[in-house]
Amino acid sequence: MEMNVLNMLIPMTLNGLIITIGVFVITLVVSIPLSLVVALLRMSKNKIVSSIMGGYIYIMRGTPLLLQLMFIFFGFHYVPVIGYAFSRYQAIFIAFIINYTAYFAEIFRGGINSIDVGQYEGAAVLGLSRTHTFIKIIMPQVIRNVIPSIANEVITLVKDTSLVYILGVSDILKAAKAVSNKYSSFSPYIYIGVVYLAITAVLTRVLNRIENKFNYFR
Amino acid sequence: MALTVENLSKNFGKTTVFKDISFTVDRGEIVCIMGKSGEGKTTLLRCINNLETVDSGSIKINNLYLCNEVNGKIQYASKENMKEIRQEMGLVFQNYNLFPHMTVMENILEAPLFLKKTNRKDIEKRANYLISELELKDKENNYPYQLSGGQKQRVAIARACMLNPSILCFDEPTSALDESTRSQISKIIRNLASQNIAIIIVTHDNAFVEEISQRVITLSNGSISE
Ligand SMILES: Nc1ncnc2c1ncn2[C@@H]1O[C@H](COP(=O)(O)OP(=O)(O)OP(=O)(O)O)[C@@H](O)[C@H]1O
Ligand SMILES: [Mg+2]
Repeated sequence: MEMNVLNMLIPMTLNGLIITIGVFVITLVVSIPLSLVVALLRMSKNKIVSSIMGGYIYIMRGTPLLLQLMFIFFGFHYVPVIGYAFSRYQAIFIAFIINYTAYFAEIFRGGINSIDVGQYEGAAVLGLSRTHTFIKIIMPQVIRNVIPSIANEVITLVKDTSLVYILGVSDILKAAKAVSNKYSSFSPYIYIGVVYLAITAVLTRVLNRIENKFNYFR
Repeated sequence: MALTVENLSKNFGKTTVFKDISFTVDRGEIVCIMGKSGEGKTTLLRCINNLETVDSGSIKINNLYLCNEVNGKIQYASKENMKEIRQEMGLVFQNYNLFPHMTVMENILEAPLFLKKTNRKDIEKRANYLISELELKDKENNYPYQLSGGQKQRVAIARACMLNPSILCFDEPTSALDESTRSQISKIIRNLASQNIAIIIVTHDNAFVEEISQRVITLSNGSISE
């Protein structure tokens, strides 16, 4: 019986991993750079721009990601004028990217605000331009400061990928559910739990490496 | 004159920090600005270094106006002139404001490499000269957190001197130093003055003033006296 469970679970898990890891990687690759732009716009002196960004971040952080996924897939095409029917995968990527961008943007904003004004002034009296100051003086310190918070969100994202089940997409958790139903056994969930733990273990190591690499100064 | 300040006034909202102050500093001179806490010494230094905007009056560095009153309105230098003025000015902050993620050498090289006034070889030559002059020889690959207060200050001085400024300003240079590092810093400052740099020092430290100063300007109640 257990062999049958595994025989069914393993191929389904491998297929599910493509979804889980795909959502994870694409969300990170797009959200992190995009969130820096959002953070800068949020901090813009232009009141309109900064409040639009503030509103966007409020909505993203104030509602569940599950609801956002459902809205984008089931609800968005009812919206007048801009309404559009996204495919499942489009909806998934859009929802994850805009949600995580908001969280990362707040982390970057905090990181940028935490830099002492003395750093900007030190750069200014040396004649460094504003762009050069931001890229070479401010950002390296911001990155060092935000890595632990970013790492936290990255780990959360691994688990959040399971929310794609709501749109009927087969990730690893959905694989467990299918096998569990078929064999009336709970063990597939245990196996999948172990898969999540393995992914998290690898990520934790990678993230610790990155954190140490940027921790060469105080 | 390296620095000419005329009828300078600065307010923060309704509070007047100083009003109509005028003074000059020549190249090679060491001038101390004294005054009680909160009299506006740091603010004056920040205005001269364009970290604060003034409300009226003029600041002239060599023959360029950092700011000037034109038809009763304050006007700041054009972008081009500002660049030039920046290079004539150096400021050593009270807390140094070194870049923590850069080594001593990187801190010193950052501005000249960005401004590209000369080639990299000459820049590195000058950096090495300043590093040995300021006794930082074995520290050039250290990060700021690995330095003592006095060493950080010397890095800040080297960094400010890289661009050959004609005016070098210090805010409370002795506030974090002990007796022996203080006499070391006054030797360094006197040496800089002898290289024809105008030195402006904001300080509370009477012993230090006695040791170093040729002229003392006192700020009190928003005006100055010599
Ligand atoms: N950014 C600011 N906004 C408003 N007021 C300010 C600001 N910076 C300084 N002040 C005020 O201006 C006055 C002069 O401050 P400043 O720091 O220049 O004094 P100081 O002479 O350097 O004092 P200390 O000897 O304690 O360093 C103070 O009353 C201070 O509260
Ligand atoms: Mg002060």
